[in-house]
Amino acid sequence: MRYDPPIHHGNGRLFLAFAFIGLALFPLAVDDAYLQHLIVLAFIYAIVAASWDLSLGYGGLFNFAHVALFATGLYTYAILTKTLGVSPWLALPAGGLTAVVVAALIALPVLRLDGIYVILVTIAVSQLLYQLVVSQSDVTGGTSGMVTLPALSIGDYRFVRDGKIGYYYAGLALLVAACAFLYAVTRSRLGRAMVALRDQKYFAVARGVSEARTRLLTLMASALFTGIAGAFFGAYVRVASPDVFGLGFLTLILSILLVGGGATLWGPVMAAFVLPLLSEAIADLGPWREVLIGILIILVVVFYPGGLWAAIQELREVIDVRRTAFLAWRNRRRGQAAREARLSAREVMVPTPHGRIAVSDSGGDLPALLFIHGNSACKEAFFRQAAAYRGRYRVVAFDLPGHGVSENGDPERSYNVVAYAEVAEAVLRARGVARPVVFGWSLGGYVALELAARGRATVRGLAICGTAPLTVVPDDFGSGYDAGPHLILAGKQYFSAAEARDYAGSATAPLSADSRFLHANLPRTDGRARSYMITKLTVVNWPRQRRMLRSGQLPFIVINGADDPFLNHDYIARLAAADGWPLVTIPGGRHAPFFNTPDAFHAAFDGFLSTVDAGSSRTSADIAV
Amino acid sequence: MTLDTFLTIATGGIVLGGLYALMAAGLAVVWTTLGIFNFAHGAFIAAGAYIAWQVGSTDASGLGFIAGAGAAVIMMFLLGMLAQMALVRPFERKPNLVLLSVITTLAGAAIIENVLTLIWGPRPKQISAVVQGDLAWQGVTLSANEASMLVLALVLLAALGWFLRGSVLGRSMRAVAQNREAAELMGLDVRRLYALAFGLSAAMAGLAGVFVGSIRFMSPSMGADPLLKALVVVILGGLIRFTGPIYAAFLVGMVEAFSSFYFGLYWTPAVLFGLMIAVLVLKPEGLFGRKERTL
Repeated sequence: MRYDPPIHHGNGRLFLAFAFIGLALFPLAVDDAYLQHLIVLAFIYAIVAASWDLSLGYGGLFNFAHVALFATGLYTYAILTKTLGVSPWLALPAGGLTAVVVAALIALPVLRLDGIYVILVTIAVSQLLYQLVVSQSDVTGGTSGMVTLPALSIGDYRFVRDGKIGYYYAGLALLVAACAFLYAVTRSRLGRAMVALRDQKYFAVARGVSEARTRLLTLMASALFTGIAGAFFGAYVRVASPDVFGLGFLTLILSILLVGGGATLWGPVMAAFVLPLLSEAIADLGPWREVLIGILIILVVVFYPGGLWAAIQELREVIDVRRTAFLAWRNRRRGQAAREARLSAREVMVPTPHGRIAVSDSGGDLPALLFIHGNSACKEAFFRQAAAYRGRYRVVAFDLPGHGVSENGDPERSYNVVAYAEVAEAVLRARGVARPVVFGWSLGGYVALELAARGRATVRGLAICGTAPLTVVPDDFGSGYDAGPHLILAGKQYFSAAEARDYAGSATAPLSADSRFLHANLPRTDGRARSYMITKLTVVNWPRQRRMLRSGQLPFIVINGADDPFLNHDYIARLAAADGWPLVTIPGGRHAPFFNTPDAFHAAFDGFLSTVDAGSSRTSADIAV
Repeated sequence: MTLDTFLTIATGGIVLGGLYALMAAGLAVVWTTLGIFNFAHGAFIAAGAYIAWQVGSTDASGLGFIAGAGAAVIMMFLLGMLAQMALVRPFERKPNLVLLSVITTLAGAAIIENVLTLIWGPRPKQISAVVQGDLAWQGVTLSANEASMLVLALVLLAALGWFLRGSVLGRSMRAVAQNREAAELMGLDVRRLYALAFGLSAAMAGLAGVFVGSIRFMSPSMGADPLLKALVVVILGGLIRFTGPIYAAFLVGMVEAFSSFYFGLYWTPAVLFGLMIAVLVLKPEGLFGRKERTL
């Protein structure tokens, strides 16, 4: 199961609502008939380009007969209304239906072919349709086309009146309907099958996805609103001419699709408003306009293949990184006293190869405990341990790069488990901490394991919590964890408010007076720290960690919550039995037992510390709690 | 139908076939070597025709037909190499090369056509014939110009055939077409050969442009129709052998000539495209092809 919330649960809904409300209010605010005309055309282009994105972008089917489907809708409308006298309101859906039928016919030869041959056969189909239209001049008007097609009207109100405002809203409604339909298709079983066939054809087929059926349905789904848009185009410009079969129109729609960004749905919709307006702005240049647009297409394809959509994503990332960096900077100055009070220790900034790191160190000449926090948390998560072990141990904790009040790191270099282990080494060196017992929670557990396995800093004992030791990545990741929706959030770059609440709630504790500071800290986390850390799990030398655990040289314990929502408990129990290390499960403890059920946790951890202090190299089997 | 009519139609078909063979051979060289379909090939035809007109026509520089054709071939060779560097090379190694190159070559075609309009304007022009007069044989007349064009096309195709099979460079190109990695390991400069294949293809398109420009009127979009016909030819002929598209070209020329006579001008393209779809569905490797990609 893949966690992929629908748009109305995510951050997209606001933008979508703004865009559509803005478009709905536009004619009231701006009284420019020509601009309004261009926007109605943009509605039509957006529908055609986004529908094409379904087959070309999502489906990976090079259907170059797509504009012929548009023409099919157009001519259906023209013939039905003008020649047969059918109501325009019936002719609009009829245009969509004929296009679907034609798409099904196109699908027949396409089912057997691949790659460039699909392009060629669809071009041939498109030419065949064109020749059919041109040759049947008594039905279609031949090369001169059909003119004065009936306009839309409701009762006595004709849409051409009032500056064609009726067409504007009809077009907008059609665009909304098309977007809703296409969005629903991309999120349906069919949409997933399309993408699966595009990305891993043989695997998808082996998993029971029918290639022929998916191709057929993809083409038909992409034809539906294309045909309706063609019919609407006929009702709007009231001319049906064979020009729509031409390379010019094809190139226009294709460039909208590409400049917007393939397989994104919203990219082409946006580009449909940008490109025609841009092209209209340079209309005076004559042939130069086509040259410039051609050059633009080539530049986009060569240098920026993601298109407008990718540009927006990059902009979003820049803004988000600025935001988290600002929050870290502000929190460093403002809340230091509160943080020091919470951990009852001084907070200092330590320069490391991965940026300046905030370290809390209670100091003193005592045996040291190093605490490493988990994904999207901060060092203050261990405030109960700081209170419990103060006086007996020197408690050191630090914020990982991109977390808490540490600086953001370079995503390529600093946001992975190995870099985090280097940060831990640098912190130990800078603070002069020798031979600590390390406790790692969740992601911090991997950092602790890596720190010990690297062997550059001497570790006296190792305890992890909420972490499934891995050997082969990503296979073991799949078996070590229970792939629930909140686990997928661990690698998701941007959180909506609801996702932040869900993640903080299941990773530590639901919002309460005690956990409020953790919830408040979460939005500060650099989203790249999550996405890069997950994708870079493979850079870690996992077998080395596992060899270290098996060798039994290092005192080691796993303390998990019995109700941890992320872990696959069987997997960890199997590993513990195979390698012979102790495993404690704390009843009622969730992913963060040290936070939620501190008493039981401290009992287990104290037991471990005393065996380590006793100098035994090996703890006895399961410690009773 | 009298024998005269039959022969007249057949001659027309053969002349068309010669033109299509030139175009299709050019397309096939790029397709087999780089594995892409060059949609700018039609624009190359127009560009070649305009260059030949500019250099050769008495209305312009007036250096004569031969100089014009020579200039077209050389300039188009260079333009083809340039086009390959700009339109194809940047994503040679990307998995979706086929789609990307369709898009960039379409854009390239739009650029070339509009630049031609900018330079020479939209008014139709014609390249003056290389030889005047008609040839008559058994009651069939063929203009000497068309005859000389046909001969030129055949000679050129023979030369191309020799180049691909006999010369070291041509054999290297075929090697790259058959197995890029192996050819690279053998020390062949694949990038240079790709550019060369594109240039060669464009040069042939330039010559086809001279061909079209001397028997029809020229316009910046004059290449669109022959491009579609060449597409049909390449599909019908298949690409297994260099000669496949050439046979297919004469077949298509004949079909076009006879179907224009029997079914009318408007139905001819429909017949051809219907034929092409049928072949693609039933025998995608082409009428004369086996399932391989090579020259």
